[in-house]
Amino acid sequence: MAAPALRARAISKRFGPVNALSDVDFVLETGEVHALLGVNGAGKSTFIKILSGIYRKDEGVIEVGGEAIDCRDPKDAIRHGIATVQQHPELVADFSGYENIFLGREAMRPGLFSRIERGDLSKRAGALLKRFPVDIDLSKTIAEMSAVEREIVAILQALAGDHIRVLILDEPTSTLTEVEKTILFRLIDTLRQGGISVLYITHRLEEVMEIADRLSVFRGGRMVASMLVDEVRARNLSLAELMLGETLDHVFPPKAEPDAIGEEVLVVRDLTAGNSFANIGFALRRGEILGIFGLVGSGADEFAKALFGAIPVESGSIAIRGRPIAPRSPREALKEGIFLVPGDRRVEGLALTETSVFNITLANLKRASSAAGILKRTGNRRASTEFATRLALSPPNLSMPVSGFSGGNQQKIVVAKGLFAEADVYIFVEPTVGVDIGARAKLYGLMRELSRSAGVIVMSSDCDEVHGIADRTFALYKGRQISPPDGLQTRNRLLMAGIMGELSRD
Amino acid sequence: MTRSLVLPAGSGRFIAFLLLVVVVATAFTLAEPRFLSTQNISAVTRHMAANGLAALGLTLVVIVRKFDLSFAGTACFAAMTIGYLIALGQPLWISIPAGILVGAVIGAFNGVAISYFRLPDIVTTIATGSIAAGLAFVYSNGRTIFQNFMTSGILDLNDARVFGYSLSFVFLLGLYAVAWFFMHRTRYGASFYATGENPVAAYYSGVPIKHYTMLAFVACGMTSVFAVLLILAESGTADTNEGANLLMPAYAGVFLGTALLGRTSVLATLAGTFLITMLLDGFSLLGIPFYYSDGVVSAILLAGVVFFDARLRDLLGDIGTYLQPRSAKKETRA
Repeated sequence: MAAPALRARAISKRFGPVNALSDVDFVLETGEVHALLGVNGAGKSTFIKILSGIYRKDEGVIEVGGEAIDCRDPKDAIRHGIATVQQHPELVADFSGYENIFLGREAMRPGLFSRIERGDLSKRAGALLKRFPVDIDLSKTIAEMSAVEREIVAILQALAGDHIRVLILDEPTSTLTEVEKTILFRLIDTLRQGGISVLYITHRLEEVMEIADRLSVFRGGRMVASMLVDEVRARNLSLAELMLGETLDHVFPPKAEPDAIGEEVLVVRDLTAGNSFANIGFALRRGEILGIFGLVGSGADEFAKALFGAIPVESGSIAIRGRPIAPRSPREALKEGIFLVPGDRRVEGLALTETSVFNITLANLKRASSAAGILKRTGNRRASTEFATRLALSPPNLSMPVSGFSGGNQQKIVVAKGLFAEADVYIFVEPTVGVDIGARAKLYGLMRELSRSAGVIVMSSDCDEVHGIADRTFALYKGRQISPPDGLQTRNRLLMAGIMGELSRD
Repeated sequence: MTRSLVLPAGSGRFIAFLLLVVVVATAFTLAEPRFLSTQNISAVTRHMAANGLAALGLTLVVIVRKFDLSFAGTACFAAMTIGYLIALGQPLWISIPAGILVGAVIGAFNGVAISYFRLPDIVTTIATGSIAAGLAFVYSNGRTIFQNFMTSGILDLNDARVFGYSLSFVFLLGLYAVAWFFMHRTRYGASFYATGENPVAAYYSGVPIKHYTMLAFVACGMTSVFAVLLILAESGTADTNEGANLLMPAYAGVFLGTALLGRTSVLATLAGTFLITMLLDGFSLLGIPFYYSDGVVSAILLAGVVFFDARLRDLLGDIGTYLQPRSAKKETRA
C-alpha cells in the first residue's frame, strides 16, 4: 500500500507547564476529507499549527509521502505540500480574486517599468479553475465578494502551488450560510477527487457526517478516537459524547413549563425598517424563550439592533411591560431593560484589553458605582466573582484582559455583563458561533435560567439551535416574518421557512 | 528564591521607571553638579507644572484614541486674550476665566466636529490650532503685551509658595490627584477608557461615546490654558509665541509614560512628564541649545516607545531566539 499523504507519529508539545499535545499519532490518507474534532483547548488548533509550521513540535515525527520533514515556518510546510487556510483568511479587500490568488508571486514583466501582467494572471487562474472547477467570478474585488467566495479565493490561493497535497481548513464554515456551505462542500469534493487530502476543523457536528470520510477526536491534548464516518454512522455513536468524554444527555435544557409562563414583557407590532425587515410582530412573555431563525441577509441582525435602538425603525411599535417605547440608542434601550448579546462579541461586545470586571460592569455603570459616580470596587469584584462561578468561567481570573479567554468564555463574559445589567428582555444574536460544545450546553442552560425571570429572544442562523432552545419559533426570510398559522413548528418546517421563505405542509 | 518577594502587577515597570530616573539624574549630576541644587530642582518643578498641565488634557484625548494638535495654538490665543484683558485693566478673576473659556470653547468646537460630525481629528485640530494661533495676533497686531502685568498680581502665581513648594507645582499635583481619582475610580473614567478601547462595544453598553470624546477635547483645551497661564506668570508678558513649546513635551510625556507603564493613564503621564522635564532641564543646564535637546528628547521618546511596546518587544524577542544557538534554545524551553 502506498504511504499516506501525511503521517504524524508521537507528536508532543508543551507550553510551559501545560501539555498541549501528548503522543499524538495521526494518519491522513491520500484524497480523503478528514474532520478534526474537539472542544476548545483539546489540542486540535495546536496540532494543525504544528502541521502548518506555525509552532514547532517538541517531540515526534511528521512524514509527508513517507519521508520525514521538519517545518520551521509556514513557508517550509508549503514547500512540503501542506497548505493552510486560516479561520479568517487575510485577503486584500481592494484587489480582485485573481490578484489575491497570486499575491506575492505575480507575473512581473522584467525591466524598469515592471508591472503586474493581468492577462497572464487570469490565464493562470483559469488553469487552476480547470483543475478545480468552481463557479466563481474572480475579476470581482474581495470587498464585493460573499463570504463563501472569499473562502474559495483563499482555498485557491493555498492551492496555487501545483505541488500542494494536503490542505488544512480551519473552521471554513463558521461564517457561511446553509446555501453557501453547499457551494464550499462541492469544492471540497472536487479537491478530494483531485487526490488532495483535506484536513478540516469544525465545531458543527452535522457537517462532519455530511462531508468527511474519516474523523479524529481530540480531548485533553490526546487523540482519543480516529475512525471512518461510516463506522460512526453504523454504530450510531455520538460525536458530542466522544468530544466531551462523558454521556451527554441534553445539550439543550428542557422547555418551559406552561405554568411558568408569565405576563407579556415585550410586544412588537408591525415593526418595519427600510430594506432590512418589514411588519414583524410578536408578544414575548416572561418565562419563555422565543427563537428566530434567520440566515445571513434575512434581516435578523438588523431586527435585533432595531429593538436595541442601534438602528432606526420606520414604522410599527415596541412596548415593554405594557408601555410603548421608541429607543433611539442602546443607552435608551438599556434603560428600558433590553439587553443585546451581540453577534460579533469581539467587535460589539467586549473591550478586549480590559479585565472581566471592567467588561461585566460596563453596561450598568450606575449599579457599579455610588450616587456620586465612584466605582464600588469591592462590590463589583464580588458580583463578578459570583457570575464567574455561576457561568463556570475558565480560567476564573478576573484581572486578566478578556482577550486571553477562549471564544466560549468570552461569550460567558458578555452574558455576565447582561446579568449585571439586570434586564427584562435579553436578545441573543448568534450566541454560539465559535463556542465549543461544552460551553454551548452551559450557555443554553443559562438562557433557560434567564428566561425564568425575563423574556429571552434567541436569533441564530443555526436552525437546530433555534429549534432546540426555544419554546416558540418563527423564521425570517429576506426581512419577512414567516410563522405557521397554527403555531406548530417542526424543525423541518422552520428550516424550510428560513431557507426557502415558505411554509411546508408536513 | 526569586519568588520570595511578591509585588503587585505592573510594579516591575514602575521600578524600571525609577531606575531610569536615578540613572538620568546621576548622569546629569556627574556632568553638572548644580543639577541637584535647590534652585534647579525648583526650576524643574515649575517647568514640570507647565508641561504636566498641558499633557493632562492630552492624556484624556489619547485615552479616547484621538489626537489633538491644536492645543498649542489654543494656548497662544488664550494667553493673548488674558494679556489683552489685563492690559485693559481687567482684574484677574475676569481675565483668567476668560482665557480658560477660550480653551474650553475651542476644545468643544474640536470635540463637536470630531465626534458629532465625524471630521478627521488630526486635520481638524491642525486647522483649529492654526486659526487660534492666527487670532492671537488680532489683539495687538502681534506685539508683545506687558501693560499692567506688574500690578495685576499675575506674577504672584509664579512666586507664591505653599508649604515651601511653588504654587504651580502644588496645583499640578492637586489636579493630577483629582484627575487620577476621576479617571481610575469613577464610572466616568471607566467610560472614557471604554470609549477608546472599543467604541462599538461601549456604544452597545450604553456609554454615550460622543459625549466622552467631546469632553476629552474640552479638557485638553482647558488644561493647555492652565499651562500657558504659568508661562505668562513666569515671563510677565504675553506674546504670540506663547504655547508653541507645549506640543512636543506634552506628547512626549503622554507617550513615553504609556511606553514606560504599559498603558495610557494619569500616573503614566505624570511619570513621562517628569522624565521629559528632567531631561530638558538637564540639557539646558549643560548649555546644550534647545534645537539639539528637543531632538534628543524626541529620539528618547521614539526609543522608549519602541523598547517598551509589548508587540515590538515580542518581535525583538523572537529575533533573539532565532539568533541563539540551537542547544541554548532547547534549554530555555525546558
